[in-house]
Parts: sequence; C-alpha cells; structure tokens
Amino acid sequence: MSDLLKATAVSVRAGLSQLVEPVSLTLAAGRPVTILGETGSGKSLLAQAIIGTLPAGLRAGGQVDVEGCSLDLAHPRALRDLWGRVIAVLPQEPWLSLDPLMRARAQVAEGHALVRGLNRAEAGQAADRDLAGLGLAEASASRPDQLSGGMAQRLALAAARAGGARIVVADEPTKGLDIARRDDVIALLMREVVQGGALLTITHDLTLARRMGGELIVMLKGRVIERGPADQVLSQPRHDYTRRLVAADPASWPRRVPRQPVGKPVLRAEGLSVRRGGRRLFRDLGLDLHPGQIIGIEGPSGCGKSTLGDVLLGLCRPEQGKVIRGEGIAARRFQKLYQDPPSAFPRHLPLGRALEDLVRLHGLDRGRIGGLMARLRLDPVLLGRRPDAVSGGELQRLALLRLLLLDPVFLFADEPTSRLDLITQAEVTELLVETARETGMALLIVSHDPDLLAGAADRVIRLGDHEGSPTGADLVRDPAAQTGYRPADKPGFGTRVAAEVSGA
Amino acid sequence: MHPVLRAILYRAAQALLVALLVGVLTFLMMQSLPGDMAFRIAAGRYGYDAVNAQAAEAVRLELGLDRPALEAFGAWFLDLMRLDFGTSVISGAPVMDEIRHQLGASLQLALAALALSLLIGPPLGILAGLRAGGWLDRALLVVSTALRSVPQFLMGLILIVLVSIQLGWLPAAGYGRAEHFILPALTLALGLAAVSARIARDAMAAVAASPHYAFGRWKGLSEWQLLRRHGLRNIGVAMVTYLGLQFAMLVEGVVVIESIFGWPGIGHALVHAIFGRDVPMVQGTALLLGLGFVALNAMIDLTARWIDPRNPDSRRQG
Amino acid sequence: MSVIPTDIPLQASARPWSRLAGAALLALVLGFALLAPLVFPADPLRQSLRHILAAPDAASPLGYDHLGRSLTARLAAALRLSLAIAAAAVASAALLGVAAGVLAAWRGGWVDRAVSLIADAFLALPGLLLVLIVSAIVPVTPMAFWIGLTLVLWIEYFRLTRATVSRLMAAPAIEASRLLGFGPLYVFRRHLWPELAPVLLTLGAFGAATAIMMIAALGFVSVGMRPPTPELGLMMVELLPYYREAPMALLVPVLATFLTLLGLNLVAGGRRT
Repeated sequence: MSDLLKATAVSVRAGLSQLVEPVSLTLAAGRPVTILGETGSGKSLLAQAIIGTLPAGLRAGGQVDVEGCSLDLAHPRALRDLWGRVIAVLPQEPWLSLDPLMRARAQVAEGHALVRGLNRAEAGQAADRDLAGLGLAEASASRPDQLSGGMAQRLALAAARAGGARIVVADEPTKGLDIARRDDVIALLMREVVQGGALLTITHDLTLARRMGGELIVMLKGRVIERGPADQVLSQPRHDYTRRLVAADPASWPRRVPRQPVGKPVLRAEGLSVRRGGRRLFRDLGLDLHPGQIIGIEGPSGCGKSTLGDVLLGLCRPEQGKVIRGEGIAARRFQKLYQDPPSAFPRHLPLGRALEDLVRLHGLDRGRIGGLMARLRLDPVLLGRRPDAVSGGELQRLALLRLLLLDPVFLFADEPTSRLDLITQAEVTELLVETARETGMALLIVSHDPDLLAGAADRVIRLGDHEGSPTGADLVRDPAAQTGYRPADKPGFGTRVAAEVSGA
Repeated sequence: MHPVLRAILYRAAQALLVALLVGVLTFLMMQSLPGDMAFRIAAGRYGYDAVNAQAAEAVRLELGLDRPALEAFGAWFLDLMRLDFGTSVISGAPVMDEIRHQLGASLQLALAALALSLLIGPPLGILAGLRAGGWLDRALLVVSTALRSVPQFLMGLILIVLVSIQLGWLPAAGYGRAEHFILPALTLALGLAAVSARIARDAMAAVAASPHYAFGRWKGLSEWQLLRRHGLRNIGVAMVTYLGLQFAMLVEGVVVIESIFGWPGIGHALVHAIFGRDVPMVQGTALLLGLGFVALNAMIDLTARWIDPRNPDSRRQG
Repeated sequence: MSVIPTDIPLQASARPWSRLAGAALLALVLGFALLAPLVFPADPLRQSLRHILAAPDAASPLGYDHLGRSLTARLAAALRLSLAIAAAAVASAALLGVAAGVLAAWRGGWVDRAVSLIADAFLALPGLLLVLIVSAIVPVTPMAFWIGLTLVLWIEYFRLTRATVSRLMAAPAIEASRLLGFGPLYVFRRHLWPELAPVLLTLGAFGAATAIMMIAALGFVSVGMRPPTPELGLMMVELLPYYREAPMALLVPVLATFLTLLGLNLVAGGRRT
C-alpha cells in the first residue's frame, strides 16, 4: 500500500479564531478515508485546506507531502498545480458543476487535452474510453441537463480525473440523492479505490461512511473527536457524540408498534389519479386517514409523493377521483409542514410577529404559545429573530408550533427532516409522532428514506419508480414485494402493506 | 406545441399588437389636430396642392369618417395593415420612399456606434466581472455611473464644443464623409458601452462564481482556458438578449443625436414629422421601429436558443 | 457543508456610502429648487437689457442669460418642473405597473399572457417615440410628458413585479400563509411588499432619471417644452450660441442636469438588472 498524500497538522483560522484544530491524515492507494460530521463541524473546511480551495478570508496551516514535494498550506497557490493532475475534486451536486452548455465528451476530453497535453484526436479517444468505462458511451453527445443525476455524477468523476489525478476528494457526494442513487455513488467511489486510487470523502451520511469502510474520522465543532477503522468506530463508538449520532440513524431506530385505526376518518381519498407535466404519477389510489394515525409515503424522487399530499390538502387538483374531508371540520385544521423550513415563513418578519398575526387572525389563546414552546423545547428568545437567524431544526419546530395553535386534525409533512442533521432529524420526527399520538392528529409523512418511515409510521405506502414504469399503471406497490425486504409480516410490527390501495 | 413554433406565434401576436398600438396612437394624433380630418388625410395622400373638397369627400366616404369613431378607426387600421401610409404632408413624397432613404443613413450610424461600443464595453465588463470587487470593477462602476448620468444629447454637446469648436479637429455636423461619422458614432457608443459593460460584468461575475467555473479550475484548466471554454459562451445568452434591449436605446439615441449632428436619418425625420404634425410619416416610422424591434427580438430568441438549448420556456425577453 | 467555494462574490449592492451620497446630492438639488425662489426672489421670465449675460451678483448667484433673465430663478424653476413631472410619472407608472404585475403573477393563465403581451407591445416602441407621439396628441406639454412617461415607465415596473411575485408565489411561504387562513391583503403586506419595496426604490430612481433625460433631450431638440418656459434642455440650447462669451452660463444647466442624474443613479444602487 503506497501513501499518495500525507497531510500534517492541517488547521484553519479566520482571523484569530481557530475553525479547525490541527489534524493529520494520510491518503493511501486502496484505502478510503472518510470525514464524518454535521453542518458546522469543519469537515469541509479541513478538506478545502488540504486541496487549497479555502474561501477568501480563511487561512490554512500545516503541510502536505505529495509526489515527493512538501507544500506549505499557508500558501495555497502552489497547490493549484496539483488540481486535475494529481488531485481530482468531485464537487457536490455535480449536475450543477458541469458546464451546462457543453457536451459530455468535450467536458472529459478537455482534461486529457489541456491538462495532460494529449493532441485533439488522442484526447477524444481517451474521453471515449473513459465514458465507455463508466457506461456513458451513449451519453457522449448529451448536455448535462439531458443526463440523470447518477449519470452526471459519473461524468463529473470522469471529467475530474481526466487530467490524470489518482487522488479523489469527494465533497458530500450523496447530497440531494435518494436511496437508489446513493448506492450507485458508493459503488462508483469504491471502484476508484479498488483500481488503486486514494479517496477522501466528506459526508454527513452515516450509511455512506459505513459502506466506504477504511478509516473514519468523526469531527465536531472543528475538532476530531474520534477516528479509526470505520466498522469499529460505528459499531463501538467511544465518544458520546458518536454514540448519539449512531443512535439517531433511522436504520437503528426501534420499530414502533403500529396503531389500529380508530374513529371516523378525518380525510378520505377515493380513486385518485394524478398527472403532472404530461406524465401520470399514480392511478386509482384510495386512502383513509384516521385520527392519530401516521401514514408514510415512500418512493424515489419525482414519483409524486409530495403531489399526493398536495392533492389531499386540495393544493392541486387530481385528474380523477375525489378527496373528502370529515364533516364540520374547519378548513384551517388541515395543515402542511414544509421540507425547507426557512421558506415557509415570511422572510422579513420576526417569528414572534408571524405567530402574533396568526393569533389575532383567528382570535386564538395567546397563552398557549408558552406551553407549546416548552413542549417543543424551544427557547422564547427565538421569537424575536427572523427566520434566517434560526437553525433549521428550531425553525421546523416553530413551524410545527404555528400549526399546533390551530389544532390540526390532519398534517401533511413533506420531507420535514431531509434538510436537517441526523440528530435533529431524530428529534423532530419524534416530536411529530408524539404530537400525532397526543392530539389525535392524522399525520401523512413523506420521505425518501424507508428506514425513517419504518420507524415512524403505522403504515407505509410506496409509490413507484418513474423511469421503470412508463405508464405509471402499477405505481402503488407492496413495499415488501418491491424491495424483498420484509421487516415483519405479523400485524402489529413494522411496515405494513397498504391494504386498501388497489394496484394495477 | 413545439417551443420554437410557440415563440414565433408569440412574436406574431406581439407584432399585431404593436401595429394596433401604433394605429391607435396615430389615429388619436390625427383626431387631436385642428381642422377637418378628411381634408388632412386627402392632403396626406395627394399633397396639399392637389387637394380639394371633392377629394376630401371621397376620402370621407372611403374611410367612413362620417361613421362612428370605432368604424372610422377600423378603416384607418386596415390601411395601416396594408402598409398604405400615403404621402408625407411636408415633402409630398410617398412615406415608404422617404423612410427607405432615411433608414440607410440611420443604419450606417447605428451600426458604426454599435460596433464601437462592442469594442469598448464587453471586454472591459468581462475583465471586471472575472475579478468582481477588484480595482477594475470598482473603477468601471464609477465611470459607468458617471457616464450614465450624462444624457446622450449632452455628451454630443460636450464633444461638439470640445472636439469641433475648441480643437477644430472634426466637423460638428454633416453627412457623407468618413469624418462625419466619428463624433455622432462616438457619442452613441459611449452611452451604449457604459451599459453593455455593466451587463457583461454582471453576467461574467455570475458565471465566474458558478460551481461549474470552480469545477473547471479543479480540473486543472488555466484561467485563460477556463474563460475561453467555460466563460464566453456561458455569458452569451445574457449578452445577446441585451442586444435586443439595446435596440431601443439605440433608436432613442439616434433620434436625438441625428437632430444635433444634422444627420439625415430616420430620427431626424421623425422629429421633423412630430414638429410638423406629419401623421403619415410618424405612422410609418413608428410602425417600422416597432416591427423592427419585434423582428430583431425574434431573431435574438432563436440565437439565444441556439447558444443555450436548455429549457426554452424559461427564457422570454422583450 | 457547502460547495468548496473558491470565490465569494462581493455583494454588488452593499455600497451604502454611494446610496447616501446620492441621497445627499438629491437633497441638495431639491433644496435649491425649492428654496431659491424664497432666498433670491425673481421672475424667471423677466428680461432685462442691463443684465444680458451678466456675471453673478447678489440677486442671482448663478448670473444671467442672453436675455438678462436670472439664471438662478430659471434653473430653480426648470428643476422644479423636471422633478415634478418625473415624480408624477414614476408614481403613476409604479401604481400601474405593480398592480398589473401582481394581477398577472397572481392570476396566471390567460390574464398573465394578455397583460404580458400588452406590456411587450409597449416595450417594442422606443420610449422617446412614445413620448413624442403622446406630445403630439395632448396639447398641454407637461401633461403630455406625464402621460407619455407613464406609458414608458410602467413596463419595467410590471416586468419586475411580475417576476418577483411569481418567484414568491412558487415558494412555500405564501402557500403556508393561505393554509393558515390568511387572506390576499395579508399576503401582499407581509410577503410581497417587503420584497418589492427595495426593487421599487431602485426602479423609481432609474425611472426618474429616464424621465429627466427625456424631458431635457426633447427640449434640446425643440420638440419638448416651448420657450420661454425654463427647462434644462431648452436652457442649454438657448445658451449654446453664447458659450464663448459666457461659458459659465451654459455650464449652469449642464451641471445641474448631471448632478441630478448622478444623484438618482447613485440612489438606484449603481446596478440595473
């Protein structure tokens, strides 16, 4: 095993404050290194310092030994010569990082031609080989907007490495991907490792960290709190934070005992068919929502999960079928919790004012706010702030508080935790479930993470794949039959099939 | 519907509406003039000398001017749609002939100014945008803000006073020789360059800050390779779209500048026509300029689509 | 965390000093226009043989023109006229443009298409041409300028309002407010207006600059205000023949125009998007 890059005592400062405490690491051929941490842990800054891409105003310290030279990180200019030739940077959300107007082949060929110095014909042939090797031969003449997310990711890797680099630095490679695509990315990165490259991955994704193996470095608040072989760190975490992190992973949540539906349904959907942009998303779907019941909607992006919720709320119209609300229930008791918490509040308004507006509009009891703040573990100080000055987790709980003031009978939670860190995700999900149980509110929760739904919902409906099923006729499926994963067939345990949902 | 077809249909609807707007405005202009309308239309057609009560009566019957205003307008608009503008009240020549002559002179001036402004503005803007916040960016901002605060007629006045009167280097007015071009073209070009530099700067700064530009750097490309391969084409749509809007600025500039420098173009003629209440001329000129704008923007739509074939519906300009 | 950024683009709008300087300049111009008649009372139309192209004195610190009229009084009157027309045109254009923009973005569908098409038809006619034609229809010149400029300026208000409101309508915040039971007025007051207001200020400053330029340009080529009305463009063209004898007299309207426009451009924030 040969060391390709050795970083010693890498640190990052902004003025006088130390953002990342000195860290040393070694990248060797065939052994991946993963840095795991949440937003603000300094994991990205550490990687940026090593490859010399820190934003202006931040200063790196330490040194990097690569290709027989020693480079001082305080002078990042010298590192630029390594880009493309020695170090390949795989950007996050690569579909945004490819030149939107250039065809796939040209984006790869320019690395061979301009960085490695091949002539035009040779560079073109090299690009064709790269693309064919990644299964992209067909896409050679496509623009990035004509590629799927997974294809864009493979193209970005080919383009990043075309200059000859063997060290790959991947920044949040699974950000914004659903489960199926995440597996593709892991396979893609592992391929690099198997072929003798070195890999540094920065991520907040526990599954990714587990599957990559190799060395795992856990960071918190600019400091390395734990490191070692990945399987060991994740199976026997020593630091309290790592333990909490592992426990917050939906895959390790305790399975919930599902409740049998009781009472009259607050919402009933019959024979729903929905079409969006000329494509039918699902057909003939029926659904009852009972008080306190939690239903999960699962499926890959673009399958119509969110649209289903919007149809149930009357925010968009189905092609066929109808949605019936329980009699005599005020319209404002049907509510929605949004994916991106800051975008659900008026941007310029202090949060307390937004709540006050609501209290005044409906003549509500102002005194309940204090109790709910305590129940949702929110600090009253937050009420004086604007949405952009509050963390995502707090804001999502404030959004929940705002809804609870209206005593909702039905809540559609649209990927309510997908923008939150793991530990916050566990907290917010727990609160949602408790609220549903305590207040008898029916909860429809949409997520792309089957583990999360398995842990939170009484019943899960899986909407089907978009690319695989051109007609969309058989879009509602039995999750067990679909995945071959069957956590429980016994009633009263785990995921159950949507019994009254009629498929193809 | 195919997006290109839809874009063309939209432009056609726009053209129709422009014609209607010009029709309404010139009809109102005609109605607001003192005296008998039929007489004046007849004068417009046959010249003041040839006009008499019979001719006016014929026009009245033909256009139904004795009918209610709406019907009268219908007839008026029909003439307009047939591009039948009649003759200029002032010169007596057919409006179409007049416009044809003047258009050539105006186009020469406009193209010279446009070429000059493209040599000055975008290169400076691109350099400034590559280093947003740098000294060139700040200097350019000061200069372009100052330049935008000088109306074009004032710029013309300053150049005439400095270059022709004080220094005596160039003629203050005239048409026909190369040196006559320099001052009016430069006057127009300075104003256009001030704006095109800002557009290029903003577009370049946005591209330079985009993830794909950073990725190009990480691929190992040099700054020059980056600009050539991932920069210029990507600001193309913004620049081309801007050219469409520049047309309006150019026309306004041409109207004023031609009057100041005595340039025998369409702008000069328009000012005279307004002054002399020469409705047929105004109508012809306005329709030409409006439809020219629509045609130009239709071409720009297609060019922008050719540069950036993505998501054609998100882009609609002018 | 975020993308690995190599460059944090400097905020082009974060230049409070330039906005302040612009506001100060405008206050100066406005102060002169309003206070000059009180401090140096004189009839801007009153001619005097004794004062032809005379140097500044205590009664008129800016001197006298070729007919012996007080340039102080004439400049103040010209500025009041231009600023008043510009303010009126900007106000009515903003009202029209914002109303049409909110209507188009809110209702969508054929309403949106129809209003957009009308705006595009107006956009196709160069502004100066529109003002010229209206000036030939409406006999009272300041009124003609007001109507013509409104027809020119509303388009930009419409386009920006429509774009801003469409963007906001697509974001969840408004949908959330509607679900919570809030009505259209609340949505306008809390969601739309706070986002629109800064844009409207910028547009207003640019619009006023456009208006002042057009009034002066048309005056300069003799199709705008009629003599002897004091107007910036007219004053320049009248004083141009005498610039060798009295260069300072010509400089008075030139500088006043430049400073007014500079103030407006600075207030607008130096960028047009």
